[in-house]
Amino acid sequence: MTAAQDASALTAPTGRPRRPGARALMMLARAEGKMIARDIAGLLTPFALPLLILLTSASGASRQEVVAGRTVLDLYVLPLVLVMVLAFVGVLNMPSFLAYYRKAGILRRLAVTPASPVLVLLAQALVSAVQAALGILAAAVVAALAFGANPPLHLWSALGALVLIAAAMYATGMIVAAVAPSPSAGVAIGLLGFLGLGALGGMFGGRDSLPGPLAEIGALLPFGAGVDALGAAWAGQPLPGQALVALAGAVVVGTVVAGALFRWE
Amino acid sequence: MTRDSRQCPAVRIAGLRKSYRGRPAVDGFDLEVRRGETVGILGANGAGKTTTVELVAGLRRADAGRISVLGLDPVRDRAALRQVLGVQLQESQLHGALTVGELMDLYGSFYPAPRPRGELLELLELRAQERIRFEHLSGGQQQRVSVALAMIGRPRVLILDELTTGLDPAARRRMWRTLDTLRAEGVTILLVSHAMDEVERLCDRIVLLGAGRVLASGTPAEVAAAAGAATLEDAFVALTGDSPREQETPR
Repeated sequence: MTAAQDASALTAPTGRPRRPGARALMMLARAEGKMIARDIAGLLTPFALPLLILLTSASGASRQEVVAGRTVLDLYVLPLVLVMVLAFVGVLNMPSFLAYYRKAGILRRLAVTPASPVLVLLAQALVSAVQAALGILAAAVVAALAFGANPPLHLWSALGALVLIAAAMYATGMIVAAVAPSPSAGVAIGLLGFLGLGALGGMFGGRDSLPGPLAEIGALLPFGAGVDALGAAWAGQPLPGQALVALAGAVVVGTVVAGALFRWE
Repeated sequence: MTRDSRQCPAVRIAGLRKSYRGRPAVDGFDLEVRRGETVGILGANGAGKTTTVELVAGLRRADAGRISVLGLDPVRDRAALRQVLGVQLQESQLHGALTVGELMDLYGSFYPAPRPRGELLELLELRAQERIRFEHLSGGQQQRVSVALAMIGRPRVLILDELTTGLDPAARRRMWRTLDTLRAEGVTILLVSHAMDEVERLCDRIVLLGAGRVLASGTPAEVAAAAGAATLEDAFVALTGDSPREQETPR
């Protein structure tokens, strides 16, 4: 018997070290969820800002039909609002939590338990996904009930695009979490990233109003690419290749860069 | 299981070295701790105490030397070691918005056979705080929760770094009684402390560190006698040139 088996036999009758599994992950996700739910500002902000944009822009946009019964609200405003929710949760909220965990030593404390801190990332991803889903649902319901917004002509394309956008935003957020030296820096860098991506992606008046080169750059970043992909799904068109490549590229770049720079302490 | 692996010491450290930016924090440290033994690690600030226990816990990699905990290498056998090692760190926090009970449930979920929440609440006298958020607890209560979570996986080896710093005298004595319970269960304990009365009360042996090296080791009485001092505190001052009370850092 090896030394590892000897030691594990002291606590685990199976003779092999038992790594924390789905139950630990769910407990951690539940804990993360409770922490977010107990922070009212953190809970409501990802919903409030996109809903505010929706409420101020939807009324006029819902009367201008563009194609196949779909209005400006369906093709531009609603995709923009949904991408905002995902960007808020992925680029701003998640890195702030991780930066705080690192600063406070919570990741370090978890590192001496059988639960690898990687489990924290998975739990964060789960909770962020739930939070984003609730934000998207709230925006879609308000848009449909209050302003008569229509569902996407290609529903499955829209759902696939949402998953890809969420992954791209989360990967971008991981870069922020990796480089932020403190919780306040995490908020500052995350806010800068959120506003920068949003500005280049058309959050403040549409990409058409930007100078040409900036609009082109915006289309290659996760925010602008996300808006383009969702707009196409709503219009019943194939998802644009450039947007898909840009989103997939953000996932790859974010994962590689964060993987190289991330530190638990 | 072989006869040899059953009889290996709980902790064996040989020739341990660790430097930060060229400055040695641990400089050739050797230690052997028998199973069920409580060993105190003493030393002035910067003597290498916390670095040593962080190396034993696998939080840092040694530059040289070997560490074995129940026959396990802290880095190579990380997964197996985490199952049998409990750690209370000097500088770490817990999820502040969770209650004491929720924290116990969360950390308990990481282990195959955790101690029941009720048992820990009784043992650490935290029953009244069960539904209170960690961030709303006093410093002493937070310290007790940290120790409870270090014990929750039924560790065979327990590392306690600055166990009672910041606790009032009554709370310290309650904590000592908790450690008596663990010692009676045969748990091996590595105790980092600045409190001389604490190590005299709890430890079978002590190791006094200075600049990453062992200055003295043995029972508290042996260390005091070897230094020609009447008390362990006098021995500490004589060997390190510093007073232990001046070393204490407020939490």
